[in-house]
Amino acid sequence: MSVIEMKLEREVTADTIKIEARKVQVHYGQNHALKDVDVDILAKTVTAFIGPSGCGKSTFLRCLNRMNDTVASAKVTGSILLDGADIYDPRVDPVQLRAKVGMVFQKPNPFPKSIYDNVAYGPKIHGLTRSKAELDEVVESCLRKAALWNEVKDRLQSPGTGLSGGQQQRLCIARAIATSPEVLLMDEPCSALDPIATAQVEELIDELRSQFSVVIVTHSMQQAARVSQRTAFFHLGNLVEYGETGTIFTNPKDPRTESYITGRIG
Amino acid sequence: MNTERHIASAFDRDLEGVQALVVKMGGLVEAALSDAAMALEMRDEALAERVRAQDTAIDALEAQVNDECLRLIATRAPAATDLRVVLTVMKIAASLERCGDYAKNLAKRSLVLNKMHSVEGATGSIRRMARQVGLLLKDALDAFIHRDVELAASVRQQDRDVDQMYTALFREFLTHMMEDPRNISACMHLHFIAKNIERVGDHATTIAEQVIFLATGQLPSEPRPKADSVNMGEV
Ligand SMILES: Nc1ncnc2c1ncn2[C@@H]1O[C@H](COP(=O)(O)OP(=O)(O)OP(=O)(O)O)[C@@H](O)[C@H]1O
Ligand SMILES: [Mg+2]
Repeated sequence: MSVIEMKLEREVTADTIKIEARKVQVHYGQNHALKDVDVDILAKTVTAFIGPSGCGKSTFLRCLNRMNDTVASAKVTGSILLDGADIYDPRVDPVQLRAKVGMVFQKPNPFPKSIYDNVAYGPKIHGLTRSKAELDEVVESCLRKAALWNEVKDRLQSPGTGLSGGQQQRLCIARAIATSPEVLLMDEPCSALDPIATAQVEELIDELRSQFSVVIVTHSMQQAARVSQRTAFFHLGNLVEYGETGTIFTNPKDPRTESYITGRIG
Repeated sequence: MNTERHIASAFDRDLEGVQALVVKMGGLVEAALSDAAMALEMRDEALAERVRAQDTAIDALEAQVNDECLRLIATRAPAATDLRVVLTVMKIAASLERCGDYAKNLAKRSLVLNKMHSVEGATGSIRRMARQVGLLLKDALDAFIHRDVELAASVRQQDRDVDQMYTALFREFLTHMMEDPRNISACMHLHFIAKNIERVGDHATTIAEQVIFLATGQLPSEPRPKADSVNMGEV
């Protein structure tokens, strides 16, 4: 049988490695939360992290932009390279790193500032815009991409904390993309969103992947299957299986992956 | 194969239900095939009529399988093995529906053949071939029920025997037609019957291949043995 060569959408456009993680371990005091995780996050690719609650998805995500530095009990070992450079090198400024590797948290955490300032904050402190007009433009385009603009355009000066949970989450997404990060880490970005906003965020993720890497933690198997090209399944602190998303969802190799994605007791 | 239960037990019941429908369909098709061949050999018109009437039950079951599968896909979003079960079940049901049609067609032709004088030995050979194919179908369905890859692989191998039976019958009918042109009409019907039974064998093979896909996630890669080529040059 001859197979017609087709460029399928799920194919990743680049096989450049953006983040290379090797033997990453995390301890929270006595709790060994992450065990020897090896993974290559590809450039211009959406990677989904899936797995049961408490398996270490958020922990690993936080390693990728040194967010665990802020957790006193966390001890991270192993190596994580971003474009070949060790992000745990003492010379790396974590604040600069987090501008490159942005994050949307599991719980929305807007600054106690206006909606406008929440989005404008990053571009301002990193000096990414030269004029107020340019900043306005960035704020609007980020709020549009996060599917929030229409709901807030008339009250940009009211506090971000006054928005609904789902709106706050989209505000945090707008804030995270405002610095044009090269990698965007999203920890269950849609858990508080309605189906329309969810679809809009997924569309945004797909758009972002033409330039950036996106890593998304999600409890929705359907969402992982829809938005990602690569999927990693975590279980009890181990990375059990990592591969092309279609393969993971149609023919996973590890029985633990199969049990999890088909909704069986693992 | 994953033998663990789903956390949502209704999901298990749905999947088991749709597989039970296919197994039931298989039973009806096996019966229709053997009854139709029997009706042909025994010139039993009542039996032939029953086979024709039963086909609507087979068609209805296929429609039900498709409905249930659509519901399953829409409501449960099956993945991995579950998804393969759904796809496989739909394909097997489609194959069985075709087999049911072939049995019905056999029954119809038997009614026509009853009005002609018999061709020596032909209906007995047809019934033997139908029995052989019926066993193949049964094996394919057993392989499905037990996810038995070896049994499925043996069905693929055995289909060659059916192809050889068909080739032998084809020659036999040719001989009858050349001996006496008054046999042509009956032999044409008999030939269509033999060809259709051979097709049922092909469907048994398709089902066996689906079983291999279901159990392993991959269709068998090596081509199956072929022996059905009637040498047109010799005809
Ligand atoms: N700040 C922390 N201090 C101490 N232990 C922690 C901390 N954060 C996580 N843990 C522990 O590390 C393990 C992994 O937690 P993590 O938050 O990474 O799981 P998760 O996969 O993101 O789960 P969920 O899907 O529920 O968000 C858990 O046992 C958890 O109790
Ligand atoms: Mg988490």
